[in-house]
Amino acid sequence: MFISFFYKLREAGVPVSPTSFLTFHRAVHKGLVQSIDDFYVAARTVLVKSERYFDLYDRVFNHIFAGASLPGEADEEFDFWAHSLLDEWLKNPGQTAAALGVDRDRLDDMRLDELLAYFRDRLREQTSRHDGGSKWIGTGGTSPVGHAGIHPGGLRIGGISRNKSAVQVAGERRYRDYSADGPLTSSSMSEALKKLRNMIPQGARDQLNIDATIYQTMKNGGEIEIVYDRRAVDRLKVILAIDNGGWSMEPHVEVVRVLFSYAHAQFRELKTCYFHNTIYDLLWEDPSRCKKPWHLNEIVKVDPDTRLIIVGDASMAPYELMVPDGSIYAYQRSGLPSIERLKHLAKLFRHGVWLNPVPRYRWGHTRTIQMIRAIFPMFELSLQGLEEAVSYLMKK
Amino acid sequence: MAAFAGSTRYILDQELAKIVNISMALEMPLLLKGEPGTGKTMLAHAIAESLGMKLIVLNVKSSMKLVEALYQYDTLTRLNDSRFGDSVRDVSSIREYIRMGKIGQAFVAEKRSVLLIDEIDKADSEFQDDMLDVLDQMQFDIMETDEIVQAVTRPVIIITSNAKKDLSDPFLGRCNFHHIAFPEPDMMRRILAAHFPDIAQTLAVNAIRCFYEFRSIEGVEKKPATRELINWVRALRADPDFSSGELLEREIPYLGVLFKKSSDYRLAAQPPQKRSLFRN
Repeated sequence: MFISFFYKLREAGVPVSPTSFLTFHRAVHKGLVQSIDDFYVAARTVLVKSERYFDLYDRVFNHIFAGASLPGEADEEFDFWAHSLLDEWLKNPGQTAAALGVDRDRLDDMRLDELLAYFRDRLREQTSRHDGGSKWIGTGGTSPVGHAGIHPGGLRIGGISRNKSAVQVAGERRYRDYSADGPLTSSSMSEALKKLRNMIPQGARDQLNIDATIYQTMKNGGEIEIVYDRRAVDRLKVILAIDNGGWSMEPHVEVVRVLFSYAHAQFRELKTCYFHNTIYDLLWEDPSRCKKPWHLNEIVKVDPDTRLIIVGDASMAPYELMVPDGSIYAYQRSGLPSIERLKHLAKLFRHGVWLNPVPRYRWGHTRTIQMIRAIFPMFELSLQGLEEAVSYLMKK
Repeated sequence: MAAFAGSTRYILDQELAKIVNISMALEMPLLLKGEPGTGKTMLAHAIAESLGMKLIVLNVKSSMKLVEALYQYDTLTRLNDSRFGDSVRDVSSIREYIRMGKIGQAFVAEKRSVLLIDEIDKADSEFQDDMLDVLDQMQFDIMETDEIVQAVTRPVIIITSNAKKDLSDPFLGRCNFHHIAFPEPDMMRRILAAHFPDIAQTLAVNAIRCFYEFRSIEGVEKKPATRELINWVRALRADPDFSSGELLEREIPYLGVLFKKSSDYRLAAQPPQKRSLFRN
């Protein structure tokens, strides 16, 4: 019973264990599940073990019991392209209409949301007929509104007695804000800080604490009880390099900077520096990137145990990465392609990660992301990604 | 079995009532997560009250060892007894000096009780895993006497966590889970009414509106929770100027009750138009 529900949950990425599925069946057999509302609550309570997956659960539930479409990667993809199309349209209506082969006046009459829906439908048709990349999809790609999922209801939680059906409740997607994916924002800051708290190294428990040993031994009535403490270990040194050039990074720069400066106390040293798109031979200690340069030759002198955290969307023209003197700034002429610089940095610091605010499923579409990913382990700039990055950085 | 349907001081939503009843029927611990002030601890009190069970609270501390929660072998008393010899206890019997910890008490209680394990996330993960073993088996060994303590009745187990640390997978596997979201304004009104049955309507409405506005300020480290709101309303009611609630439109007193960190206090005390500039 409900096997497909179980597998759909797993497919969607909710970690549901077979044991808990059996437990859920026990609940069903005990007669605890009388209605679909009971089912919704019972299955969630037993199967889903973290509020991070509540939103996903809602969506799968809605998909199975109300036939709502499960927005997978493909859909978000469509939304992304539809938005870029919309951008193109806003910039140059005549050309876009011509490219689409429709009457411009017809599009003019539409409201924004209708337009978006129209583009999305067109794109769907297009892919099914042309098997992917058709020529007018290819360009664009600059939409700042790429992320889809406009959710009209917003977050609705808590609530008193609900007269709505479970399907409606699930449809509200009340737990969207708790999802682990989605970029880091200032509202998830405190949760993110907790993830960073794992960046404190712990020594082995091998230092004899004589005072405590005596105390415990006395408390034990003379029976010797030995107490060990953790060995003191130096806190970490961290270099945080942020890409603060260009508007695509704009919303993330402040969040990351504030996040790490809050966590400042737990590091021995935190150095924040800036770059644009990729690193050539200079990093800058001032956000405007003109006053205080930090030459890569000097970075070599830094303790190799320092954790290097690079934050950037890694999206740029390939030549910026590959060509010697590829920098978009004329005064930065180094003679080495940036990719070599990055490789050098990766070799220099054993613990280095790249945090990317671009959602993971879109990484495959940008050439430079793939190239940089081959050099630095790349993680999403989300709660989930941050957690993974921290555990990578803490590896011995 | 009696089903749980809320109590006089605790406002319960139906979803949560269902969750509690399912966990009780499955005899599985219920793990509650959520922001401070969402009533996680209060829930256990409410269950105990409404079902007429005894509530046993284990407040977890970071340095706690599992044994302390199970039983304690009071060696010091035994040593004293053996030295002075004026006690009624039999010094040669270790059993006389074994005292049950909170989990132990819940096990040996003759009637089914509610065991609240509060703030489990404070302890390290070994503690958590070992404890779940005990709760799974419903028994533990007393090493000193080599006895096994078997639970007479399975207590209703409520575990709360403030999510400072993620709990381990085996732990989560053995619990049912629920996340209590922060109450909506409507719910909050009912909570206030439960605490202050005679509250002036204007005061309740205005105080709640201010409260949610304060909660939406960006960059506040510790957002005010239900507890702060209730204290704040208590303070407002004590002040004759504000007890009717009308003045709240113009002036907001006693911010210190809501914001306990000085940086938060400063943020909240700023004029509102400045704040809203950067709000999303």
